[in-house]
Amino acid sequence: MKISRRNFLKGSATTLFLAGFNFPVLANTSKKKNLVVIMLRGGMDGLCAVPIIGDKNFEKRRKDLILDKTIKLNSDFALHPKLKNFHNLWQNNLGAIVHATNIPYTKRSHFDGQNLMETGGHIPYSIKTGWLGRGMKLAELKGDGLALALPMPLILRGIPSNDNFYPSKKRLPRTELLQLLKSIYANKSEHDLANMMEIIANRSTMNNGGTSMSRKNSSLALKAGLELKKINGPRVAVFEVDGFDTHAAQGGVNGSHSDSLIEMDSIFKSLEKGLGSEIENTLVLTLTEFGRTIEQNGGRGTEHGYGSAIFMAGGLLKKSQVYTDWPGLKKKELFEGRDLNSTIDARSVYASAMSSVFDIEFKRIQKEVFWGDKLQNLSEKLFKV
Amino acid sequence: MKNFYRKVAFGLGPDEKVPSDPLEWANNQLNNVPEFSWKGKILPEKELRGYYREWVYGDRKVLRKKFKNDKDGYKREKNKLRHATGQKFWWNLELCIRYSEALKSRNPVLAKLWYFWGNHFAISEKDFLAQYTTGAYQREIIRANMNQNFEKMAQEATKGWSMIHHLDNEQNIGPKSQSAKWAREKGKKRGVNENHARELLELHTVSPNCGYSQEDVIQMAYIMSGWRPEWGKKRLETGDVHFDPNAHQPGSKIVLGKKYKSGRKGLSNAITDLVNHPSCREFIAMKLCRYLITDNPTKEMMEPIIKAWEKSDGFLPEVHKAAIEVAFNYSDQYNKFQNPENWLLQMSKMADVDLIPSPAFMDLYKIGNKPIRDQRALEYLMDELGQHPYLAKQPNGWSDISEDWMSPELLIRRLVYAREAYYKKSGNSQTKEFYEEMIEKNYDNPGEILKIIGQHRELVHKHVILFNLPETLRS
Repeated sequence: MKISRRNFLKGSATTLFLAGFNFPVLANTSKKKNLVVIMLRGGMDGLCAVPIIGDKNFEKRRKDLILDKTIKLNSDFALHPKLKNFHNLWQNNLGAIVHATNIPYTKRSHFDGQNLMETGGHIPYSIKTGWLGRGMKLAELKGDGLALALPMPLILRGIPSNDNFYPSKKRLPRTELLQLLKSIYANKSEHDLANMMEIIANRSTMNNGGTSMSRKNSSLALKAGLELKKINGPRVAVFEVDGFDTHAAQGGVNGSHSDSLIEMDSIFKSLEKGLGSEIENTLVLTLTEFGRTIEQNGGRGTEHGYGSAIFMAGGLLKKSQVYTDWPGLKKKELFEGRDLNSTIDARSVYASAMSSVFDIEFKRIQKEVFWGDKLQNLSEKLFKV
Repeated sequence: MKNFYRKVAFGLGPDEKVPSDPLEWANNQLNNVPEFSWKGKILPEKELRGYYREWVYGDRKVLRKKFKNDKDGYKREKNKLRHATGQKFWWNLELCIRYSEALKSRNPVLAKLWYFWGNHFAISEKDFLAQYTTGAYQREIIRANMNQNFEKMAQEATKGWSMIHHLDNEQNIGPKSQSAKWAREKGKKRGVNENHARELLELHTVSPNCGYSQEDVIQMAYIMSGWRPEWGKKRLETGDVHFDPNAHQPGSKIVLGKKYKSGRKGLSNAITDLVNHPSCREFIAMKLCRYLITDNPTKEMMEPIIKAWEKSDGFLPEVHKAAIEVAFNYSDQYNKFQNPENWLLQMSKMADVDLIPSPAFMDLYKIGNKPIRDQRALEYLMDELGQHPYLAKQPNGWSDISEDWMSPELLIRRLVYAREAYYKKSGNSQTKEFYEEMIEKNYDNPGEILKIIGQHRELVHKHVILFNLPETLRS
């Protein structure tokens, strides 16, 4: 798995070559690249979504939650059978997984955990901006963020003028009224308001007649895909999926955890559809506050745990793979004797992703977005650099 | 200067005269905490906490076990339990009580400050607190103390069940306490949970400006260890808050250089010292100015409020009057971008929008039933506007910074709900004359505004434009 010194040298030689000869690389490097983050709230069970194959410990501790007909990904891991769209991506080298990973938070509170997954910090509520917002600030991506939610999520804070889309169930006023307000704002030097009214006015013409759009993640993702595809459209999008907190009736293939996973899967599908060929220049990542216990509880659900998994999709992935430093599931290998351990700081994945998509040196992201925390640069292992 | 009525309250309604002395008008509202203007049922926090208890116990201890193999059955029974405990109704009732104070009471200034304090000592979105007890907490602990010293409010909010549970203090166990020892014998680890202690310092009293260290936070957490709901098998975490000496960290503690003895009195003594720290009054003066006047308050704005605090020992009516006077003095220079809730209430008050269901209609609700749609109108509306007051995302409450309320979707909501509101007005307020009079009364540039909205013929469009003009969005 480890990249060799030889490979590394080869890589840098190419770069030097291109730089030195003034090769027409611009067409390639100036391409607009997109980053999409899907927040999975409630604690996504990495072992339900991407179960390990043939581990007796696992089968014993979760005997009522073992899935039938999982899709085999490689000799060690399988995929939840309902994740059909993700599997399609996987088969086209557009899907990958990082397993046994999480943010460095071990206390098992949703409340604190969700705060930290968005801020990227260590102490809940001590940081008031999001890691993605700070990364965008470093990349000077003002006005390039799109949240598919009504309140602006914390993860995007840190850079102003983000857009959001979460359609109102009521019709917008007619365009001429919006234009009037826009000109009033402009006359009164309310430039931020005027810019927003411009976005709104464009939206109203697009919706022609204002039939209210669905707020389902699958339709939001289609819209987001179409926007990200535009050369002057947003470059970052953020989604929310709820319902992963399955303390009871988590069930198997048709259980409640599956419902939330299916919703996530529908985002992959719609994004791909909306993006069209631009899926090649896009990277999609999931984010959750923690995984769930190995052992099922009395209600055939699972409790809050630690290590989980990250789903990744898009053409900026290096290849289809389950990237992991697998800690094992024997009692002594578990975190506090109960949870899948996390051997990769999830923030290493996010920092590397921002480095690859925003074209910023990893070290700068590490230093300015994550306070110089000890993170690994996984860019070359996971992404097309 | 007329924006003053919108800045410190919600503007002047159709039945209200323009006060001859605006400051006197405002100050007279701040001395007492009158009865609620809501004439329907009002439930005590303890009763609502009882429903919350039935919900958590029924869900966690009963249904999860009973329906472990039946996802749909579990969902169905859980819904029944929701209605059996009034989960979808209580917070709508609380919103009625809350908004009556802005729209129907004689003390809208007090109401606007009530919302400020509710957000200062915020109970953010956690478990099902919002659906059951947050509204009652804001009535019984926040509003009830608005004619007291700040210290009393801080003491009661800190030891209130809502806050203790919201900030996990029930999990704050002294590592050297008896409870931690017992847990260790069973192979379990118990220790300090700093959450509540940190927020008490950072958000509720002295703020990081006072320069406390991480060690101060830990020491504060030791002082707070043992303050938790009385546990019971059926009560779970919903018992009354008490001090459990077994969970308290033994030995004296030092916070901000001051020593506190072990035991029950430590927390009260520490709060007394925190609220009397200069950083506390500076922080609260800053926040009041930021809420009422501008994102970036100046020293000159804060000073009279700090002085009033020092002179009155943090007596809230005096602190409030000082803040209102500063707001008055700066009303021509500064306009504050209003959050969605305050914007909605201004529109409802000035344009006579029938926002709140009637007490008789709300009292038709019977526990066990699914509330009817119109009984839940406020919950939907606040969610749609992007600011349900009981669902702040974090313990620091909803933001007071303008930028956080400006996004295309949030602006769209103001456009579409301005129009919706127009159709909730009584017929006799849907006239040109009504608007002319209202604009004359509430704006400093009525001529200009009338000219702008005159560009549209239909009254509903005039209404939508008026409530989205910069003059209205900022007060």
